[in-house]
Amino acid sequence: MHDHLLDVNITKRFGNMDVLTDIRFQVEPNEFLVIVGPTGCGKTTLSNVLSGIDTATVGAVKMHGDKVDPHKHNLSYIFQEPSCIPWYTMLEDVTMGPIIKGQSKEQAEARGREVIKLVGLEGYEDYYPRQISGGMKQRVAIARAYATNPDLLIMDEPFGHLDAQTRYLMQIEIMRIWEQDRKTVVFITNNIEEAVYLASRILVLSKLPATIKCEYVIDIPRPRDLTDPKFLKIRAEITRECEIVE
Amino acid sequence: MDKRTNQLKTVAYNLLSVAIVALLWTMFAAWQNSPYFPSPAEIWKAFVGLATKGDIEGVSLSAHIWASLVRIFAGFVAACVLGIPLGLAMGLWPKLYNRTRAILEPIRFIPPIAWIPMAIVLLVGFGRYVFLIWLGAFFPIFITTLLSVTRVNPVHVNVAKVFGAKRSYIIRKIVIPSVLPDIATGMRVGLGIAWMCIVAAEMIGGEMVGIGRLILKYAELLRMGEIIVGMLVIGIIGFIMNEIFIMVENRLFRWRSEVSID
Repeated sequence: MHDHLLDVNITKRFGNMDVLTDIRFQVEPNEFLVIVGPTGCGKTTLSNVLSGIDTATVGAVKMHGDKVDPHKHNLSYIFQEPSCIPWYTMLEDVTMGPIIKGQSKEQAEARGREVIKLVGLEGYEDYYPRQISGGMKQRVAIARAYATNPDLLIMDEPFGHLDAQTRYLMQIEIMRIWEQDRKTVVFITNNIEEAVYLASRILVLSKLPATIKCEYVIDIPRPRDLTDPKFLKIRAEITRECEIVE
Repeated sequence: MDKRTNQLKTVAYNLLSVAIVALLWTMFAAWQNSPYFPSPAEIWKAFVGLATKGDIEGVSLSAHIWASLVRIFAGFVAACVLGIPLGLAMGLWPKLYNRTRAILEPIRFIPPIAWIPMAIVLLVGFGRYVFLIWLGAFFPIFITTLLSVTRVNPVHVNVAKVFGAKRSYIIRKIVIPSVLPDIATGMRVGLGIAWMCIVAAEMIGGEMVGIGRLILKYAELLRMGEIIVGMLVIGIIGFIMNEIFIMVENRLFRWRSEVSID
């Protein structure tokens, strides 16, 4: 049987440019896997291939043993760019997934209200994206991703465009949500501190063409303290691996 | 300051602008002192004459306006009915456009007036009006619709895709709502051009009624007062239609308007 939730073994080329070279890893149920890599190393390409939006040049992403396919598998994706649908109210936005998956409007709305509450936005159900802040929009994206009860949740630098303070608050928030409802998460980032704060396991990617350089299992108890010596030690180690001088 | 006073202020300033232009016009007309440059007072007199007694053939101003409105509406609707679906189809299947580009694009640059002889040969009566107005309005509507499809945010499409949405769902729920505001803008531009084609259309339509025809009638008599009335009527009706269009757009696409939490 397939013990892994996700079995990844891919190479991706655009024309004759190698982007991802021989990326192999597995994802286990209910883990919070963070993939960290330098800017421009093909992280978004990797998330797109993982989610089935894009396909690998060689190899495949297998979920429960089958090639990953959004029509078949229940996965969610939080995009790097703001992704709220401008003509949907918050409630309409978060009910989109359940409705596509075939739930009735009533069921979807009930679930929608639940996830809006989960991300702490109750009272804003009828607001349009124009009317809310950047941090709130990203919470809507998280709520929308949770709404379908996904087997796999892919997050591609979800806090990348937020200011430092909002970003920090969102990291605490995503941990709080994850502790409440432990989905399997693949979280992609270029921020090492964020990676060490969130991850149960970290994969470090190299520069382009990206390969997996090393793996860390982070067993610091949560909630993690950013100034804990153990935290700082792992962070420094990964920083060296990423060849970023602090 | 609240929104209402702001609106009133804008209206007041616009009225002031109109008054200033009328004043300058009066001064210029007085200085010219020519029968071919009527003053606003003389234009008003021509307007009253047309509105109460009708034109030299006894056709009332309202009959002229109504006839033109019907023709514009028919040509404009024809342009929407053809332009929007065709633009959408070619936007969604770019090959369709790429492979017919050499036919479509050159036609776009042929002015409606150049089609007059063809329209006379091929069509009769109402068909001629509709054809010429359609020619003018079709391309802005078609082209904006076509381009709007290519500007749909790919992230919004991917949001639906990741949930396993079918293509039909993506078209209905993502593509169409996102292109509607652009289509409305294209329609507004198309409507403006439809009005610009009215004189050309009524030049060949045959019937002696219509605002364009009114202008042509008085052009033969060199009666500038009535000609300017005809011009102003076109301008003002176009303006009113445009304002109504914008109001409807703002209503329909409320999600776009800037509203802050207060």
